[in-house]
Order: sequence, then C-alpha cells, then structure tokens
Amino acid sequence: MTSAITTPTGDTVRPEIGMIFGSLLRADFTVLLRSGRTLLLNFAVPILILVIIGLRTTKGGTTAFSGPGFVIGLALTYGLMASSLIGYSNTIARDRDAGVFQRLRVTPAPTWAIMCSRLLVQIVVDLIMTVIVVIIGSIVTRTAFTAGQYLLLVCVSILGGAMFLAIAQALVALVRSAAVINAVGRLLYIVFLLLGLLGASGILGTTIHDIANWSPVGAMINLYGGVLNFSSWGWTETNGLIATAAYIIIGALIGIRWFRWEAR
Amino acid sequence: MNDPVTPAPNPTPILNIASLVVRYGARTAVEDVNLQINRGEIFGLLGPNGAGKTSTLSAIEGLLKPAAGTVLVDGVDIQRDPLAAKARLGVQLQASSFQAELTIEQIVRLYAGLYSLRITRADIADRIRNIGLGDELGKTFKSLSGGQQQRLSLLIAVIHQPVLLLLDEPTSGLDPQSRRQLWDRIENLRRGGGSILLTTHSMEEAQAVCDRVAIIDHGKLLTLDTPAGLIAKHRDDPRVVKVARADVTLEDVFIGLTGSEIRD
Repeated sequence: MTSAITTPTGDTVRPEIGMIFGSLLRADFTVLLRSGRTLLLNFAVPILILVIIGLRTTKGGTTAFSGPGFVIGLALTYGLMASSLIGYSNTIARDRDAGVFQRLRVTPAPTWAIMCSRLLVQIVVDLIMTVIVVIIGSIVTRTAFTAGQYLLLVCVSILGGAMFLAIAQALVALVRSAAVINAVGRLLYIVFLLLGLLGASGILGTTIHDIANWSPVGAMINLYGGVLNFSSWGWTETNGLIATAAYIIIGALIGIRWFRWEAR
Repeated sequence: MNDPVTPAPNPTPILNIASLVVRYGARTAVEDVNLQINRGEIFGLLGPNGAGKTSTLSAIEGLLKPAAGTVLVDGVDIQRDPLAAKARLGVQLQASSFQAELTIEQIVRLYAGLYSLRITRADIADRIRNIGLGDELGKTFKSLSGGQQQRLSLLIAVIHQPVLLLLDEPTSGLDPQSRRQLWDRIENLRRGGGSILLTTHSMEEAQAVCDRVAIIDHGKLLTLDTPAGLIAKHRDDPRVVKVARADVTLEDVFIGLTGSEIRD
C-alpha cells in the first residue's frame, strides 16, 4: 500500500505492509507463548508420548510399536495435531466470538495478513517443537540422526503442521460456535488418535490398518518413519505424502471459502 | 460548536455516503441512506435497536459490502481502496476486544504498528499515562474497569490521529463521571481538527456533544438537522405532540418519529 494520509495535525502517515505484518507477528507470538495450553499441547504431550513409548521400546517392553522412527513420528504427529485441532481452532473461535478480529479488521491490516500471521506463528512453534522432540527422541531411543534426517524431519513437520492447520481451519470455517468447535476439535483428536494408534498397529485387522494409513495421523507417522529410514521408502510413504497434500488442499479450500470473521 | 447550517471553512465532506443499501439476505437493514459529514463536525446517528445504525457504521468501516451505494472517506472509496480508507478512520466498536494474553502496553504497540506508527516504548507509556492508566501498563484489557477499557479503546482509535473517528455507542454502560470525561475528550479531538460520527441512544449525549444529528429507523434516514433545528422542525408534528409531556425535547422528537414500541 502506498497512499499517504495527512492527519488533522498535518502529519503524514504511510501504511507499510511490512510493519503491519511485523506487528501482527509479534503480537501473535506473544499470545501463543503466553498461553499455558499451547505450551502443554505443543511440547508436553509429544514429550510425554516420547518418553513413555520410547522407554518401553528401548527396555523391550510389550508394545505393538517399534523403531525410533515410529516413536518419534508418533510423538511429533500428536504434538502437531493437538496444537492445531485443540489449540489453534479454539483460539480462532474465541477471538472471533470476542470481536478481536472485528477490531483488527477496521485497521489498515489486510485480512490475509491477519490470518497468515496466525498460521505462520503456529508453524514456527511446530518447528521448534519438532527440533526439541527429535533431540529428546534421539536421547530416549539412543539413535543418532544425520543432518539430512533433521532436515527431512523439519520438512515433514512443515507438511504435517500445514495439514492439521488446514483441518483446523476447515473446522472453524464450517462451525461458528466456539463451544461446538471446542467439542468437535477434541472429538477429532480422539478419533484420529485411536485410528492412528490402534489402526497403524494392525491389531484391528488389515482393513482398519489400510484406512489408518490414509488417515491424517497414519499418513504422518508413515512419512516420519519414511524420512528416518529413507532406504525403505515405498508406496506406503508415497501414499502418505499424497494423503497429506490432499488434506492440505481440501482443508485450505474449505477453510478459506467458508470462513467468516464474525461469530454471528 | 460549529453551526452546521453555515458552510464549513472546508466544504469538502470528510464522509460522503451516497444511496447506501445494506442487505442481510432478504432483509434490508439500510435503505438508500445519503449523508455527508463536514470537517471538524461532531455528527450523531440516533435510532432505536435494529434501526440500521451499526449496519451503516459497518459499511463505513468496510466490515461489510453494501448491496448498493458508495462510501467515501476523505475522498477515498472504502470498497475500492479499503486499506487507504481504513487508515484515515479511527474506530471504537460497540464491544471492543483485544487479545486476552496481551498487556495494555503490547496492545498499544500492536495497534500503533498496524497504523505504521514508529513510536518508542517511552512514548507508548506516555500515551497510556495521559489517559490515567500509567499504573496498569502490565495489565490485560479484561482486568480493567469499564471506564478504563473505554479510555484505552478510545486511545487506540485515535492513536494515528484519524481524520474521521467512528464511535459506536461510546458511553453505553459508563457512569456519569466517565461519560462526561468522554464528552470532553470528544470535544478535544474536534478542536484538534478531527471529525466524529457517533451512534447513541442517549438524547442527552446527542444534545450535549453533537453539531448535527440524524434519526434513522427501519434502515431509512427520517430526519437530519441540529438538535435545536430538529426540535423546531418537528415541534408541531402530531406524533411528537402526542408523546411530549411538557416542552418538546429531542427525545420527544425521537420517540414521536420512531414510535414508542419496545425494540429488541
């Protein structure tokens, strides 16, 4: 934007998109880091999964899961899913209900900047979570990762973060009520969690196992497993990549097309 | 106060609304409204609940797309160049809300950035001190009293010295002291060269601060003049005479023209 504004006192103000976006980013980061729930969902949940399942695996405990790739992938997937389906969707619904978006929209901030700032901040926090979980994961599972594997894990986390954010965005687009969004977000979390854990383990049979592989959680676990053991990359991992891309596209289309800035 | 019947020194209206129509589905909320606000003028928009006041303001703020008509803010079309128009506007919404996790200082910094203002931390603290919230810098918006919230909302609305300030029922819920303080602040803003459009249910407020007032009902502009002019114009209207208890007041004119049934 380039047009200058002369205030009643004769000063000239020129709105700058870079400054607007920077201000939004700073505020959204502050909000996210001050939220105890975000820290719990983003960091505590995946680390807890990592420690519990990882230690059982390394001690030879009776578990259906095996391999550091699977354990770390599982922890990262649930971290990404929790922060988006419960954290992001609830924050958007709460701010929409409270009129925070209305207040922002009467300023020169473009609507794309308001939403992109929130998404970008969430992705960055997801990436920080990825690095922390992988470091702790490598300690817990006593596995050393190469720089290439770290890079691939970050790439998969960006994809995973985008997929769960797209699903969360679709949820807040299709549902107006903050209470319903909260309930549906938690329900989806449980459904995806059970489908991923029980389906991927194979204990519910091959049909559920195949469905689980195409589910958001199954696709992510397969992708994480694939990049940590790249030599064994096969159709399951490729299908995971296709499924992830499809969820991102469909979620984003719904999330943009039907999103409303007002709760009413 | 300015005499609105006498042409202002600068005759170009700061706000020009022409043939404005706002629809929500099949319901018409604003129907063919034409309105001009002069520079340095305080203009009041009166109407019962659901009359179309907030819809008119929303169209001016660019929050909704009118079905027909144009809104020019300082000569800029809000639909064609919304960011430039919004940069000229200061807005205090009926229920302003800010991110719950941000402190007052962070809120002011955010909104200064959204208007591309480069102000220092000390400047922010000064501005907050000037509205009597110097001891509340680290508090969140929700922890403030109603009067303090209202002062902060007004500070943010005028942080960039807008050429036109929009106030949606600014004194709703305020005690008499806070109301008087707000009236003084509005008058000071006008002395600084700003123009103000406010909606209100208070006839006392309209008479105390407004140069001109318009009465709107069922989406149509019923009448427009100075408070004294409106009384003189409608003094003998049978609908007004019927509801007047003694000397005709602005409230009698308002009730006479809009009816005495209760609106939700």
